[in-house]
Amino acid sequence: MSIGNPVHRIDGKLKVTGSANYAADFSVGTPLYAELVTSTVGLGRVTSIDDSAARAVPGVRAVYSHANPLPVDAADFFGAGGRAQQSWRPFESADVRFNGEIVGLVVADTLIGAREAARSMRVQYEEQDPAAVFGASGLEPEDLPDRGLSMGDIEQAMEASSQRVEETYTTYANTHNAMELFSTTAQWAGDELTVYVPSQWVEGFAAGIAEELGIDAARVRVVSPYVGGGFGGKGSLFTWTAMVAAAARDQGRPVKLYVTREQGFTTASYRAETEQDFRLGATADGRFTGFEHQGREISSRADTYVVNGGENTARMYHADAVRTGVTCIHADRQTPGFMRAPPEAPYFFALESGVDELAWKLSMDPVELRRINDIDAEPVNGVPFTSRSLMECYDAAAERFGWSDYEQTVGARTEGDWLVGWGCATATYPTQMGPCAVRIHFDATGQARVWVASHDVGTGAYTVIAQATALALGIPVDSVKVELGDSRLPPGTIAGGSISTASNVSAIEMAVAQIHDRMGTTAETMDPTAAFEAFGQRAIEEYAEWIPPAASRQQAKTLYNGKVAIVGGAEEDYTAFAFGAQFAEVRVHKYTREIRVPRLIGAFAAGRIMNEQTARSQYLGGMIWGIGHALLEKTEVDPRNGKIVNANIAEYLVPTNADVQELEAILVPETDTKVNPAGVKGIGEIGIVGTAAAIANAVYHATGTRVRHTPIHVEDLLPQA
Amino acid sequence: MAKTPGGTNREGPRVSRRGLLQGSVASGAAALGNFAGGAAQAQADAQATGSTTPTVSFSINGKTQTATLDARTTLLDYLREDLDLTGTKVGCNHAQCGACTVLIDGARVNSCLTLMATLEGSEVTTIEGISDEGELHPMQQAFIDNDGFQCGYCTPGQIMSAIGCVREGHAGSAPEIREYMSGNLCRCGAYKGIVAAVEQARDQVEEAG
Repeated sequence: MSIGNPVHRIDGKLKVTGSANYAADFSVGTPLYAELVTSTVGLGRVTSIDDSAARAVPGVRAVYSHANPLPVDAADFFGAGGRAQQSWRPFESADVRFNGEIVGLVVADTLIGAREAARSMRVQYEEQDPAAVFGASGLEPEDLPDRGLSMGDIEQAMEASSQRVEETYTTYANTHNAMELFSTTAQWAGDELTVYVPSQWVEGFAAGIAEELGIDAARVRVVSPYVGGGFGGKGSLFTWTAMVAAAARDQGRPVKLYVTREQGFTTASYRAETEQDFRLGATADGRFTGFEHQGREISSRADTYVVNGGENTARMYHADAVRTGVTCIHADRQTPGFMRAPPEAPYFFALESGVDELAWKLSMDPVELRRINDIDAEPVNGVPFTSRSLMECYDAAAERFGWSDYEQTVGARTEGDWLVGWGCATATYPTQMGPCAVRIHFDATGQARVWVASHDVGTGAYTVIAQATALALGIPVDSVKVELGDSRLPPGTIAGGSISTASNVSAIEMAVAQIHDRMGTTAETMDPTAAFEAFGQRAIEEYAEWIPPAASRQQAKTLYNGKVAIVGGAEEDYTAFAFGAQFAEVRVHKYTREIRVPRLIGAFAAGRIMNEQTARSQYLGGMIWGIGHALLEKTEVDPRNGKIVNANIAEYLVPTNADVQELEAILVPETDTKVNPAGVKGIGEIGIVGTAAAIANAVYHATGTRVRHTPIHVEDLLPQA
Repeated sequence: MAKTPGGTNREGPRVSRRGLLQGSVASGAAALGNFAGGAAQAQADAQATGSTTPTVSFSINGKTQTATLDARTTLLDYLREDLDLTGTKVGCNHAQCGACTVLIDGARVNSCLTLMATLEGSEVTTIEGISDEGELHPMQQAFIDNDGFQCGYCTPGQIMSAIGCVREGHAGSAPEIREYMSGNLCRCGAYKGIVAAVEQARDQVEEAG
């Protein structure tokens, strides 16, 4: 199917002029300001709170804590079918469950006053030693036997292999760190509540806030038309949001909270660290025999949250036998959550490193090893892929990269004092969708308006929705106005699981088909003036509720209930994934071991591409995230006290402009008529997936050092003392 | 009447100060203009005079104004919370991310670590002040043309920083732009488009001076 025009973002002018309103940009008159106080111990309990100095700060209105709690009920954890980032509530007891937990909320007339008061709080603790990281004593493992996949006799298959890789790979914790600070502004008008909060899920937030405040969901409106980066970090309801709303009700004034960058590391979710035991065997000619992938993942004491990437790694290649499993390791930490490619980013680092290791053992080109094991149907249940252009991606990226010059020898290439290495890896992401409703208004002047409670977190949703509507109606893109990010709009999907475009476009095409049906028009022959004259009305409005065909009856009922349903990936009768191939060139300095990535080239096939420009930006952004995952990003937890020691955006390293050199995404054409009516696969997450392994594989090629953890740092490549 | 961000007033002695260094304690991002000392000077002055609510005259986007403020008020908070100029974004409050970049007397500065008390006689330009009667600044247009943003949150800071970067003469080549734009983080990873945008707008910005 076609690749959509590279239309510039229709919200571009608002964004470059500073007029796009993000959550904290809305004016609510003269609000009070709130500031959080967070725990400085990793486990224990609050023994006393001296707020006398805080209350002495001019303009301080209230100090809330477990001793003076706000009336906020618990909400169900997102991972258990609810909406909340974690099931613990601040102030529900004097207990401190992790370092950086909210123990106080100060409200004052001014922002400076609130900050001064928060810093003047004297909180005393009875401190215990937390078990906060892998290896600590007191961790609680929870086996999740029903999450594993198995097929065939794994031991027999491993026995039958002539070469095998059996290694443990680990990935460190990461924090989303969207550029926009977390915030909440709450304003009551009688018993109607409006909340401005950065959100990837306005419907769920509204329902969750109502639940926590014990009020009717119809009374809560959540507004988040522009989101300053999401990446999963704004997809589940923050613990502080209902607290701010409760404080605003208590004070009879709007209340505005900025969560500091440091507090954002512990009062929201994160990507937890993983340990993965990985086994892969192959015959002498490269055919995979046995595949085993067992994960251990950190979570909180309160919630069971695992990403369980073995479910997807097991479906990538041929195997005679498969076994996967996952163990949740409960630790003294906050509950983790989804972060860009939640299962794939950590688990494909292991898979694609392991495949590369096997290629070296077999003395085979790593691209050819993947070709030998390419499949049409996933191996566990034999369910066919709706489409799979993996090798087309490899061929396109390899050609662009110049892979034909690859020589499988460590240190084969040097340039001056730099060791040069090449590596490649597979990227994938399941194609998923959710129930979605849209309203479209179309009038005789040829203008259309589209309303859906979807979100533009930088993905280009405004633009793609306008394009899809314009294309379906047969009018120019600039004749379409789009409203998103407001829970009062028809219920859209969560901006997660890369489901937005497929769901929105399917719903839009359904609504527009209804318009054409009623008016007797087609996109090809659309002439609005003539069409409306013939129709006898000045305008028409249609509403469509699109339910993914594979959705269960229960999933279909999530619309209007503020619940999430994500359908797709490995289903009973089809397997739907987007694929990509990623190639990296790294340079490692001979003496300092500094690691640079001068070239990163990815090729991706994801069905119908709605907008070439915004799609490319998504891929490139994901690849840059991969550089961060491979080389930079590490949320460092002090094992002694559970404190995140680099909880700021200078010491939590994210890629800067200077870290990115030659970077290219190739859009490989692909038509998939089975995956959904729109033929669209999600593209927001796949870009990160293969990057870390491609870089790690290139580091090995350059240096002969196989690093089986992320991030890879200079010290990993120093000669061992 | 002294203002603190958020709008309430506090009584306090009026103090006029002149000749202060403008700018911020620009730390972390080496590429940013070096104006270290302004905040420390303001603190020293406040201690010397005993004032916690200085009166400062400055201009923002060409409009001259005078305000009596809590001495701790940052330019960022004043812009956003008092003037409702929310185009300037808050990303860290520690001069680590560059989202709050504005121009002070033509040079790029992190407004989050710039105390209002240091701005006597200064000209501040924010993202709201660079387009002319609805006509986009060439750098703004270049960011649209090259998809130099995704979520758009770092964008006002990137654009102000890009204008400063060109004026400093640090936009000679793509590697130089990458280096001198590295004080402005973009978590979406729009760096390739940002570099292309700066290259596109460079000549026009240079000509405009």
